[in-house]
Amino acid sequence: MVFSSFARRGSLFLLPILGFLALGSFIPHFLDVSNLLNVVRQSSIIGICAVGMTYVIIIKGIDLSIAGLLAFCPMVSGLLMLAGFGIVASMAAGVAAGIALGLFNGLMVARLAVPAFITTLVVGQISQGLALIVNGGRSIGAFPARYVFIGNGALLGLPVSDLILFLFLAMGYFIQRKTALGNHILALGGNETVLRQEGISAAKVQFLVFGFSGFCAAVAGLLLSAQLDTVHPTQGDAYQLDAIAACIIGGVDLAGGRGSIPMAVAGALVIGCLRNALDLLGVHPFMQNVVIGSVIILIVFLSGVVRRRTELATRGTL
Amino acid sequence: MTREPMNLRALIGRNVSLFIFLVLAVCAACFVHNFADRDNLVIILKQSAIPATACIGMTMVLMTGGIDLSLGYIVGLCSIVSGILAKSLLLPAPEVVLIVLAVGGAIGLANGLITQYMRVPAFIATLGSGYVIYGLAQIVSQGSIINRLPKPFLAIGRTDLLGLPSAVFIALGVALVFHVLISKARFGRQLRAFGFGPRAALLSGVPTARINVLVYALCGTLAGLSGMLFTIRVNAAQPNMGGGVFTFEVVTAAIVGGTSLFGGIGSVAGSILGVLSIKIIENCINLLGVSYHLYLAVQGAIILVAIIFGNMTNRRA
Repeated sequence: MVFSSFARRGSLFLLPILGFLALGSFIPHFLDVSNLLNVVRQSSIIGICAVGMTYVIIIKGIDLSIAGLLAFCPMVSGLLMLAGFGIVASMAAGVAAGIALGLFNGLMVARLAVPAFITTLVVGQISQGLALIVNGGRSIGAFPARYVFIGNGALLGLPVSDLILFLFLAMGYFIQRKTALGNHILALGGNETVLRQEGISAAKVQFLVFGFSGFCAAVAGLLLSAQLDTVHPTQGDAYQLDAIAACIIGGVDLAGGRGSIPMAVAGALVIGCLRNALDLLGVHPFMQNVVIGSVIILIVFLSGVVRRRTELATRGTL
Repeated sequence: MTREPMNLRALIGRNVSLFIFLVLAVCAACFVHNFADRDNLVIILKQSAIPATACIGMTMVLMTGGIDLSLGYIVGLCSIVSGILAKSLLLPAPEVVLIVLAVGGAIGLANGLITQYMRVPAFIATLGSGYVIYGLAQIVSQGSIINRLPKPFLAIGRTDLLGLPSAVFIALGVALVFHVLISKARFGRQLRAFGFGPRAALLSGVPTARINVLVYALCGTLAGLSGMLFTIRVNAAQPNMGGGVFTFEVVTAAIVGGTSLFGGIGSVAGSILGVLSIKIIENCINLLGVSYHLYLAVQGAIILVAIIFGNMTNRRA
């Protein structure tokens, strides 16, 4: 019982932390401050996506469109920037595109009852296609210095990317803990009847959650392109699985109703550390995907076992 | 079911996939130059054979209410495996076929066991296993492509019969077998019962666990077969073959073919028409000289329209 109540609070992720410290003492340079700051910077993309993804998973959905959005939104902004528009206006356009596509996901789920995984897969594929079409499949780069600064610069000794991640963490946490919307999201995932009895439209909540996830993916995409000083039309592929993995490692329950933003961001840091440690050990990225894919399946399986055990226990049949 | 007059709307409503196919074919023949040439039609058939084989497997998985997002990656792994077996190990063609089908089937079986017994939702199980399979394919191939495959192996899909390559007939044979299985045999009835309501099916004595696992295993086997036919067609075994784009194409074809995302509804004939429909669109995009990347976006639009349309007809029913 100790284990299950422990796991219920989503603390499964403490295991990777212990693993992280154990690993860190073996791998040269892993625990260097510069390397760790670098890990946080690399994890910021996954972390920002994970904030939006957490809400989506809490309402029993999934967002498979972020791979496409991570490429399409910065492509829009990048092309505008290179065409001579202002940085702020261009970025706003990219973010607006992300929000619009996210809201479209929400519309399909809320109004037409299309399963989230299929509508987001489709929207992801469309935005991936658009990212390829608008510039004929070529990458763009050489952006204004002020834009690149967002990805690579530092304020008060801290990388701007880390600050943006922290901002999203704070925003996500605030929405979940301090606003009515946060309660509605949890209610929609946990017990929809309660939500209906309170007279709150489930469709509205779904709409906002998918829109927010699109917003997060758009910002993450812009940040990624600022870090790389390039927009590659398929740059999003690597991050989608990592964002889902981050949520799952952070204890966000795929069955809905449960999940915390700080834990999901911590999950993103765990993924970042894992990838970084494997890089330092010379493990090929393909092998890393094999590991992360297996870990996802394993954790979803284990959390399902724990959930069913606790459900049985609360019903008093165990 | 109430008896309704045989008006046009009811006729279309019952044969949506056939209607879509006919409209597309007629429009393409009228408006796209060179579309109706004999050579071009043969190309469409050739290109449809491979996704059609995979689409039959996906149709069955969708009929259970699940999805197999790893399908495209199984295609890639089976491609490189068939290349290694045929060229590097110089195995005779029949052995290559058997081993490749076994590899695809084993992966599908793993997917089925994970969804059924580990109770991981299908989309997350196959998303995860897809990355694992993709990684394995890259590791096995060490990032290289194997081309100029041996003649006897290529003959499996390239032998000329009545002016068409044998791959088309293999796909046709697979389609016939599975049409009988799904639409005429007990397996199909049990599959539909399971798709409509797993709990009710279990209570009426359907071996739901076995059906669910079997369907993923069959889907993996068919994905393996289509990976091998793909390799034969392009005469190159490569780990990047298939992938997420192929999975998406196959899902689109199945949905356009009238398969329900919620399980229970689907047919081989519909899915074949779905494949032909989207291949006609791809062909027109090529003939018109528009960017190939448009195909991705257009597929997305088609699948959305098909879902919305299907949703509305279901509601009316």
